[in-house]
Amino acid sequence: MIDLKKALDAGGHCLLEMPSGTGKTVSLLSLIVSYQMFYPEKRKLIYCSRTVPEIEKVLAELQNLMKYRKSRGLNEQFLGFGLTSRKNLCVHSEVSQEKWGKVLDAKCRNLTASWIREKVDLYPREEVSLCDFYEQLDKADTKELLPDGIYTIEELRDYGKENDYCPYYLSRRMIHLANAVVYSYHYLLDPKVAELVSKELSKDCIVVFDEAHNIDNVCIESLSIDLTKPNLDASARSITELSKKIEKIKERDKEKLDEEYTKLVEGLKVASQSRDEDIFMANPVLPDDILKEAVPGNIRKAEHFVTFMRRFIEYLKTRMRAQHVVAESPISFLQHCREVTYIERKPLRFCSQRLISLVRTLELTNLDEYYALHKVAAFATLVATYETGFRLILEPFENDVVPNPIFHYTCLDASIAIKPVFERFKTVVITSGTLSPLDMYPKMLSFTAAVQESYSMTLTRNCFLPLIVTRGSDQVAISSKFEVRNDPAVVRNFGQILVEFSKIVPDGIVAFFPSYLYMESIVSMWHDMGILNEAWKHKLIFMETPDAAETSLALMNYRKACDNGRGAILLSVARGKVSEGIDFDHNYGRAVIMFGVPYQYTESRILKARLEFLREKHKIRESDFLTFDAMRHAAQCVGRVIRGKTDYGLMIFADKRFGRMDKRSKLPKWINQYITETAINLSTDMALVIAKKFLRSMAQPFEHGISLWSLEDIESKYHNNDQNVAKNGFTNRRVSLKD
Amino acid sequence: MSKPSSKSKEFFIDIDDETQNVNQQSGYVWEEEYKRSWDVLQEDEDGSLKRSIDHLQNRLKRKRLLRDTSTIRRGIIRNMFLIIDLSEAMMEKDLRPSRLDLTLSYAEQFILEFFDQNPISQLGIIVSKGGVAERLTGLSGNPMDNIIALKNKKNIDVDGEPSLQNSLELARSSLIHTPTHGSREILLIMGSLTSCDPGDIYESIEDLVKDNVRVSIVGLSAEVQICKYICKRTKGTYGVVLNEAHFKDLLFEIIPPPPVSVAQSNSKLVMMGFPSSVNQSSPYLCACHNKPVTSGYTCARCNSNICDIPTECPICELTLVSSPHLARSYHHLFPVENYTEVPWNSATTTHCFACQISFPSLSERTLPKNLETSSGRYNCQKCNQHFCIDCDVFVHEAIHNCPGCLATSQNNLKSLMGQVNGNFENYENYEKMNLS
Repeated sequence: MIDLKKALDAGGHCLLEMPSGTGKTVSLLSLIVSYQMFYPEKRKLIYCSRTVPEIEKVLAELQNLMKYRKSRGLNEQFLGFGLTSRKNLCVHSEVSQEKWGKVLDAKCRNLTASWIREKVDLYPREEVSLCDFYEQLDKADTKELLPDGIYTIEELRDYGKENDYCPYYLSRRMIHLANAVVYSYHYLLDPKVAELVSKELSKDCIVVFDEAHNIDNVCIESLSIDLTKPNLDASARSITELSKKIEKIKERDKEKLDEEYTKLVEGLKVASQSRDEDIFMANPVLPDDILKEAVPGNIRKAEHFVTFMRRFIEYLKTRMRAQHVVAESPISFLQHCREVTYIERKPLRFCSQRLISLVRTLELTNLDEYYALHKVAAFATLVATYETGFRLILEPFENDVVPNPIFHYTCLDASIAIKPVFERFKTVVITSGTLSPLDMYPKMLSFTAAVQESYSMTLTRNCFLPLIVTRGSDQVAISSKFEVRNDPAVVRNFGQILVEFSKIVPDGIVAFFPSYLYMESIVSMWHDMGILNEAWKHKLIFMETPDAAETSLALMNYRKACDNGRGAILLSVARGKVSEGIDFDHNYGRAVIMFGVPYQYTESRILKARLEFLREKHKIRESDFLTFDAMRHAAQCVGRVIRGKTDYGLMIFADKRFGRMDKRSKLPKWINQYITETAINLSTDMALVIAKKFLRSMAQPFEHGISLWSLEDIESKYHNNDQNVAKNGFTNRRVSLKD
Repeated sequence: MSKPSSKSKEFFIDIDDETQNVNQQSGYVWEEEYKRSWDVLQEDEDGSLKRSIDHLQNRLKRKRLLRDTSTIRRGIIRNMFLIIDLSEAMMEKDLRPSRLDLTLSYAEQFILEFFDQNPISQLGIIVSKGGVAERLTGLSGNPMDNIIALKNKKNIDVDGEPSLQNSLELARSSLIHTPTHGSREILLIMGSLTSCDPGDIYESIEDLVKDNVRVSIVGLSAEVQICKYICKRTKGTYGVVLNEAHFKDLLFEIIPPPPVSVAQSNSKLVMMGFPSSVNQSSPYLCACHNKPVTSGYTCARCNSNICDIPTECPICELTLVSSPHLARSYHHLFPVENYTEVPWNSATTTHCFACQISFPSLSERTLPKNLETSSGRYNCQKCNQHFCIDCDVFVHEAIHNCPGCLATSQNNLKSLMGQVNGNFENYENYEKMNLS
């Protein structure tokens, strides 16, 4: 808390690692809210989380907090809500039935786009359907739209339904009035979305990235584009469509095109003065990098632009015919492009904007059909804008066999996407349960942290037990190393661990494998060896698959089996859906087994390019980064079991390599402090003995120790440390809140 | 003063830790369990360990004594089913000699103790294996029937997985026929971590709640969520054993009758008969087993011959008890209050009030610095007499009357006599039972 306060005061960024399940969210919120309320300038809080359920959780916490503050006699004006996609917010009877987000977005636009609404005014007799909720919102006064309070996503929808306001646009409009906004990372990091949503946020906002251990990957993904053959085909079709439309418009309404032309001559800024609902295709480039100049002449005319795009797509198609892997820098790509097609760099850079402007002029609806074309335009713009930190990789074959050419345009430098965030906001808090080693993040994201701290956990009892199993009962070392991973002895020993632990661990066990491929091969080998037969005497076995629906069904049944006493094992993948964001609290996860170190697939060309980049730019060695990445995923996986003080669970690291110092030191401090010397080099049977004892002792009735500070404790601490008065009050509140 | 001493303490701790680490590195994992046992012992001023050892022993002795002694309404007529898991998990040898053998021997002790403490209660046994539940004995007031059933080797072979739902349903179907004045209880000894159930166990749990059945579970390996839920829902207790001794403690915690909830305590008069004992030279057939016996009881209502009480008359279904049985159950309702430890600074007495053994006196040794420590005397809150630890244990475990209170109040003398007589008679019965 003190560290956070320091960071807020200093207006610097901070990096905090706090163990999971210890009230991380509520402590952050309570301090920041108190801070906001205490100082008159009322800095806005932007809380970024990863998934919709997590956003909901944060909002619920915030609601609790405000209720508590109210019970303490603080009557204050506070508006907080979550922001999410139309898919989660739409209340329109027809539109909200859509399952696909993109289709839903397009349908919504069909009802709310400005030209359609104008049409109603112009031709009142014609039947044009509009969204009533939106209309209602438009008529109302912005100031009185949403009374103060905390709204979860569900409540926002209900409020919208009651008052006939569209909740999506309501939340969008209220952002600048709100004291706290909770939304997904992408709204801030992905330049395509950030442009729309986060543009108006003032500089002194407090930005919190929760669960931010993957933030570098999010940054990279937001600036990377993959093009496939079907993408290109689809965009070629769209181009044909476009040119037809242009022809039509030319016949009917020539002025419009001319008007657009002059606008483009004048410069881009004018074009962007449109209403929020009209912004549908965002520019993929970061705001600072947009050149404030006019669109170059050769693509100003609509038909010219269309032919230009067609030529570019053709060029990409010919590139894709290559039979070997190509990796090149954007510069050499552009060079080659110019030689072959005479396409210059500058017009490429404006592709995206030009497309947006064209779509607006043509008053196109059903934008989901133009998705592929938009992707190509974004690709063109990105290629032409950034020179360093990016790499183009063409892979003609999938898994080196199936011909499925993919053009990867990958961002290698995570700092590019997050740079504007760090520059714009005074305080950015990055926090998660697993950020170790802490110095890696400032390096990768290139920022200087005012405070970086890893907190350990004080527990009334040792509620988790990390065990590192390095060999099987037959003393054969176990490892998921490539050379030995399919060795029958290793596979059998892995299986033995599963079977033995399924005998002694009650309810749920979650097992993580490094990859789907390895999981499949090992499970089929277990089947042949009869290990699976042995295991499902004790527990049911469920498996995670890449398919989301299948996985959620498996998860549901897994939970059911854990609830009714049958017990279950869930086999999943360390980088899969299960390892991120799904909690296995209490009986849903009494043990986590990590089979092997979850290294990334090192043969991937994208990864290779990134490693090379990291080595050259940040002086991070390949092995260091790979280990760091593997260990943060391992920590993330095992961290799923502990969700609070009453919870307990085993953490079993089954790989010889976990015993090594370089791996262990990269685990978060709160896990590391409970790894005892005896528990780092165990064989399966030894681990079983310790685990049995642990489970027995954990099952004993548990008295909640007094781990909270009373008012006196804080006051004495306050006198000792001579702290800020305000701070004292905050801690006090937070402590009693956790009561 | 305090500063250097604290410093030296820290210094000691540091050394300790270091040596421990060295030990751990060179030592074996199986030694880990014992590594801290000496930390508990602390030398006193004279450098002797005796006092701390005595203290530990006394604490152990008293541990089971410190019960809730407030007078609450308890159901002294209990109907209990003991469910024993006979799954393959019971063959594990983590409890010596094996989970199953230990469970059976403890179950036997439990049954004897249960009937000793709750003479007018009834108990039956169900076993669960291979996904089915099987009733070994129905509810009866005779401990020997139950013990013989458990001793029969045919009944106790293990197989497959247990079924929580089946065994609970079976117990419930037998318990719902019992009269409402008795409490309905299930005690489950569960070695397995899984259960093989035919349907939704949550429905069965709701049925149990509806029928006022209290389920207590003793787990032998680890905490299972569903067991915890059952116990919480039915207001029973759930414990997981740490070792053999703890297992026994957990089992025997069930023996004192549980408090009766207000809802089920609609008071009712229960008809009971007090049979007279018969000793004949020529054998006659008893009504309960149809076996020739020479001694037994005759039912107070129908005069049929019964070989043992307490039981229900097989002819006229009258509950047959003897007055000592009732008296013994009675002490659960008005337990003797826990004695409190007497610190040195108020240790004035020289002898135990009950057994006249002399206490460690103040003059024998220099007084300990801390006068708050226990002086080996235990004080009854009511009569303010001091007792030694052994008498304390004896009073609370066996005689259930405070000698001090009885001696000071003349009015209670008669009841004391009654109690003691009752106890003697019981003791004779008990002996007889053991011999037979």
